[in-house]
Amino acid sequence: MTSQYYLKETRREFLKYTGTGIGALGLASAFNNNLYASTTSADSVSSIKPHFVPKAKNVIYIHLVGGPSHLELFDHKPELIKRDGQKCPDHMFKGKQLAFIRDHPKLLGTRFKYNKYGQGGLELSEHLPLMGKMADHLAVVKTVRTEQFNHAPAQLFLHTGFERFGRPGIGSWISYGLGTENCDLPSYVVLITGSVAGAGNSLWGSGFLPTLHQGVEFRSQGDPVLFLSNPKGISKKNRRDIISGINFLNETALADIGDPEIATRIAQYELAYRMQASVPELMSINSENSSTLEAYGAKPGNKSFANNCLLARRLVERGVRFVQLFDQGWDHHSGLFGSIPKKARQLDRPVAALIADLRERGLLDETLIVIGAEFGRTPMLQGLSNNRATNNIGRDHHKEAYSMVFAGGGIRGGTSYGETDELGYQAVESPVHVHDINATILHQLGLNHERLTFKYQGRKFRLTDVHGEIVNGILT
Amino acid sequence: MRLFLFNKRYFICLIIGFLPCGWGASFDASVTHWAYVTPERPKFPDLNANNPIDHFIIERLREEGMQLSRLATPEKQLRRVYLDLIGRPPQPGEAHSFLSNPTDIEFNAIVDRLLASPQYGEKWARRWLDLARYADSNGFQADQLRDSWAYRDWVIESFNSGMPLDRFTIEQLAGDLLPQSTISQKIATGFHRTPVCNVEAGVHPESNRINQVIDRVNTTGTVFLGTTFECAQCHDHKYDPISMKEYYQLFAFFNNTPLEVKNTSGVTWDFYGPKLDLPLSSFKMAKMNSLKNEVKTSELEKKNIKRSLHIEQKEWEAEILDALKDAPKWEVFDVGTFSTTGGSSYTINQDQSVLVHGENPDSSTYSIIIKDAKLDRISSVRLEALLDVSMKKNGPGRNFGVPENPNFVLNEFSLKVNGRKVVFSNAKASFSQEKFDVLGAIDNDVKSGWAINPQFGKAHQAVFTLKQNLLLEKGSILEFKLVQHHGEGRTIGRLRLSGIDGEYFKSNLPTEIQSILLMKNRSDKQVKALAEYYASTHPRLKEIESRLADLKKQIDDIDPETTLIMSEMEMPRETKVMMRGNYLTPGDKVSPATPAVLHAFDKSLPKDRLGLARWLVDPENPLTSRVFVNRWWSAFMGRGIVRTQEDFGTQGEMPTHPELLDWLAIELVQKGWSMKHIHKLIVTSHTYRQSSIITKSHLNKDPENRLYARASRVRMSAEMIRDSALATSGLLETKMFGPPVYPPQPKGIWRHVGRNAPKFLPTEDENRFRRAVYVVWRRGAPYASFVNFDAPDRGACVVERPRTNTPLQALTLLNDQAFVEMGLAFAARILQESELVNDEQRIQFAFRVALARNAKQVEVDYLKVLLTERENELIKNPKAIDALLSDAKWIPFTSSNPEGIAKWFTVANILLNLDEAITKG
Repeated sequence: MTSQYYLKETRREFLKYTGTGIGALGLASAFNNNLYASTTSADSVSSIKPHFVPKAKNVIYIHLVGGPSHLELFDHKPELIKRDGQKCPDHMFKGKQLAFIRDHPKLLGTRFKYNKYGQGGLELSEHLPLMGKMADHLAVVKTVRTEQFNHAPAQLFLHTGFERFGRPGIGSWISYGLGTENCDLPSYVVLITGSVAGAGNSLWGSGFLPTLHQGVEFRSQGDPVLFLSNPKGISKKNRRDIISGINFLNETALADIGDPEIATRIAQYELAYRMQASVPELMSINSENSSTLEAYGAKPGNKSFANNCLLARRLVERGVRFVQLFDQGWDHHSGLFGSIPKKARQLDRPVAALIADLRERGLLDETLIVIGAEFGRTPMLQGLSNNRATNNIGRDHHKEAYSMVFAGGGIRGGTSYGETDELGYQAVESPVHVHDINATILHQLGLNHERLTFKYQGRKFRLTDVHGEIVNGILT
Repeated sequence: MRLFLFNKRYFICLIIGFLPCGWGASFDASVTHWAYVTPERPKFPDLNANNPIDHFIIERLREEGMQLSRLATPEKQLRRVYLDLIGRPPQPGEAHSFLSNPTDIEFNAIVDRLLASPQYGEKWARRWLDLARYADSNGFQADQLRDSWAYRDWVIESFNSGMPLDRFTIEQLAGDLLPQSTISQKIATGFHRTPVCNVEAGVHPESNRINQVIDRVNTTGTVFLGTTFECAQCHDHKYDPISMKEYYQLFAFFNNTPLEVKNTSGVTWDFYGPKLDLPLSSFKMAKMNSLKNEVKTSELEKKNIKRSLHIEQKEWEAEILDALKDAPKWEVFDVGTFSTTGGSSYTINQDQSVLVHGENPDSSTYSIIIKDAKLDRISSVRLEALLDVSMKKNGPGRNFGVPENPNFVLNEFSLKVNGRKVVFSNAKASFSQEKFDVLGAIDNDVKSGWAINPQFGKAHQAVFTLKQNLLLEKGSILEFKLVQHHGEGRTIGRLRLSGIDGEYFKSNLPTEIQSILLMKNRSDKQVKALAEYYASTHPRLKEIESRLADLKKQIDDIDPETTLIMSEMEMPRETKVMMRGNYLTPGDKVSPATPAVLHAFDKSLPKDRLGLARWLVDPENPLTSRVFVNRWWSAFMGRGIVRTQEDFGTQGEMPTHPELLDWLAIELVQKGWSMKHIHKLIVTSHTYRQSSIITKSHLNKDPENRLYARASRVRMSAEMIRDSALATSGLLETKMFGPPVYPPQPKGIWRHVGRNAPKFLPTEDENRFRRAVYVVWRRGAPYASFVNFDAPDRGACVVERPRTNTPLQALTLLNDQAFVEMGLAFAARILQESELVNDEQRIQFAFRVALARNAKQVEVDYLKVLLTERENELIKNPKAIDALLSDAKWIPFTSSNPEGIAKWFTVANILLNLDEAITKG
């Protein structure tokens, strides 16, 4: 209600509607350009056009909750391996804020091998062999820096550009900027494996943006969308009758009162009815052929990251603008060397299959894939009393430098971008801030991060605050 | 369209408003933005209207050649004013006097009644709680619950009692600083104990604290001044005349409260900070008194028994001495060799106990080899965990993870004799911690084990009984192994081993007591020890003691409920400007002060929160009263006089009716800051009571209804939708106040990780049907149906919620268990009315209940057809009836007509889903 934009749109919408004649029953036609988003005040907010020609239309954003170790997966540091067990240099500890480490820690080299993949010889951990086969599609940014070193604030900071509650996340900004291409589905869908990230549902809340831009979670247990199925004992026919009854009475009211909001509500009930069929169809991967299921490692009925990757493809195929996957279980304070191979295996196959699948369907060029996390891990060892028994070894939260991976829409494959120092502690070449990452994602979608603004409480807000540089080095 | 009434002041403002951005940075003090000028009471326009509000509206409309609409129908007026004042529609029979005689006098009488209703506070609290970002959880990781609901109740009570808003403001910001502040005034300060708090492991407490103070400053600015201070955190405000230094001067007012997290262990933090014990409820008080009486009775009996105890003791001593003559005795083993895997040092004491010291590793396994057991036969062995000054609280464990809990965990206890393993049949301990029973030490499962939390500072013993008596040849070697790998040094600090031949419990006296008994000459100390021991074994005394302990625990368990409050530290913190908003880069020192652009801070005021609060409600303050009346106006009329309710600064919109705004603001202050007075003025105006029908002329001249030639239609808030549906269903439980309630929501919505993450268990009593204001608000996952109707997460102050219209809302009202229950109850309610003789009458009744109007004939006809369809369907498939009603377990139905309920659910479900049912029209 607060933006001037809103005001204009309300009036436009109002006039547009009233121009077509109140009380007509063929209402849907006046609205079906964007049924999902129809609202009193923000119907066409989502029809903002891109600021320039976009490279990508959709985003699949995979967030590895907890912060995986870039040193085990993406950033190969032979010197760190060489100096394993030595006390870390002072500049990595003295005067620094760390989440868990309190005593001067030792350096910890990885125990995994790295291989070179693809024409560009991109280096990746031995535990990501299938992603390695897709190396010529991948760009690894090794110098991402954030400002928060606790999970929930860092998750908020990455998604909303702000470490506290109240602001919209990148998915909501993009929904606000571009709207949806499928009138029957939300523009922003969230899929989760494991428990919810620390910052909770607010990570996909719309902050001060209209709530229709919030992410809608499609759940893998219970109703895929909350309240989707009919109560027990309500047949499909009875449901149809009830919705017809609601709409008949609403149409009567519309004829009397003339409020276009009523027309929108009529359309939303029809859409809700259609969603009762279309969403379960979408969420059921039974129709996928067995080679596809096998490629992803997906199984109908499973709650798995692999299933979610496959669902992500089905969603972007149907025009959902922003699909976000959260995968819990990457916070390796201990048991690092035991857990990384397991988690990497869960990640490797579905992600590689997703890239290949999108490519085969001609969707890879228009879909930007992002694999990120709230922060990385320290090159220093974190363990109980510095004990080096394997199951006690881990790494602490690390905000100075970590890796994110990009693929698809407008990304130059086979790219390694930026360099950290020989111990993998901080950037020595081409540092990238999370604001830069967000600016780049918006850029690929044809949105200028400095112009995508929303006025709230007397101030124009941006996802990137007053920062953000496009990371041109990873773009075609 | 002209939007402004031009007097000089507003004309200037208009110019400022259109100047390019950035101009405001070099704010010219000679031209002051309208909102920073103290309002003056505008001259009354001379017009014929009963209510002063209508004067302003009518005059403005006349300039555009428009006029107010006629009054809405009495039914609509009634529904509107019920929804606005108490948050639910009127029910049949209520306010009948007005419907039969719709005069101003009757309408005013209804308004007075609604303003006096306790539901008024429940309705209006919701908006204030959005501003106060009130929630029942901490936010962030784990998102544990916190108790602050007494503050929520305080808001409800304050609105109901008509507390003047200046007092309302002062008590919330600084109730704790008022002289001889009352409990209620302290509870009020919960207003600023609502900020989120991150207690995930590894959090830095100071950054938490700074974020909370920032939140307090920004929220204070938004709530009371309609001003966004936030921009000035990092640099001088770009548009409004507030400098960075001034921001931190405001910060200084709030910078003197203690940390709100507490280090519980290692890098673990818990939510903490000042709390207030609430007075006990009458129920708890009665329970407490009855328990205390029982304590008195038991104490008396104990005293009487003790008086004659020494006589009984003599007899007992004789008996025991007699029994001891041929009872087996514990033989303490002499330690042959001792070793640990943890590399600790040890000392073997004269009493053959082993004291472990030095290196304290996470885990350690002890081996004790006994070369001469001095017994021919062993039936049980005993392990004593003894005290020593080298351990915290004297031990008996060496835990360093939680040093105040010197626990140990004995995972496995085993014995080999000459290399062969001995099997134990039983184990008994002086005390075993919950889930750490001593049997865990002999179950060959290395995960389980024996521990003794919370009985620290006390020696403990465990007796392990052998499955078969062990016959020892001369030279037998006994090797005991104690596996202790729970971690963080949970190992025994001093231990001793003994063996016994025979049934140990025959003489199962502590070694010391046994030796005292056998003495001829006892010291005073020994006499006392013996008497104490005897008393501790006396069966009735034991019973009484255990009952007393139980009673004491029950009394202790009657905790008063608590609430979060503000409290000032004795030594104020120094406040420094934070460069780029970062507390790690402090700048110049500042002291508390208010922004120069606003009215002066009276020199007599203290420079603390109390002074700040008094400054806010100074009649010279140009903002607070305007901001308050504008928000109410928006609640009633659908939009603010200043549309940007949260921004009265230069970037905000200009007021559509500036003189009305000022008139109302001054009226508020002059009428004793009475919210009810302004509410009554607004709802009794013609402007409020007029029809909401939209005409062609409205659409041409004022499509957005900025000038109020008609009433606005506004979709209701999530809370009002719930409360209205509850009222319609007849389920609404009017019980007020208290801890949050848990109405049903789908499973799996509360899925947070982390320590003490709470669980959502739907309430199965009347609390299931209480008003929305009492529903638990967990920030990480607010109540699902509220979220679909635009409720915020309450992580930050929200002035105005968005109002969307989505298919998820349709699904919620159609299928949410909570709304299905309400639909079923509504159906039952329709059928319970015995004077309704046919379906047409029943449909009419349902409309009056849900929509406060009669049904039109087309509506009746349509629904009658649907009812017939449904009836036929149910005849064909009667199983659907049970299925549908299986969701109604918790509904207190009084009629039993499941077929009818299943049939009428169709109508109930339709009515509860109508746009009209969720819109204030």
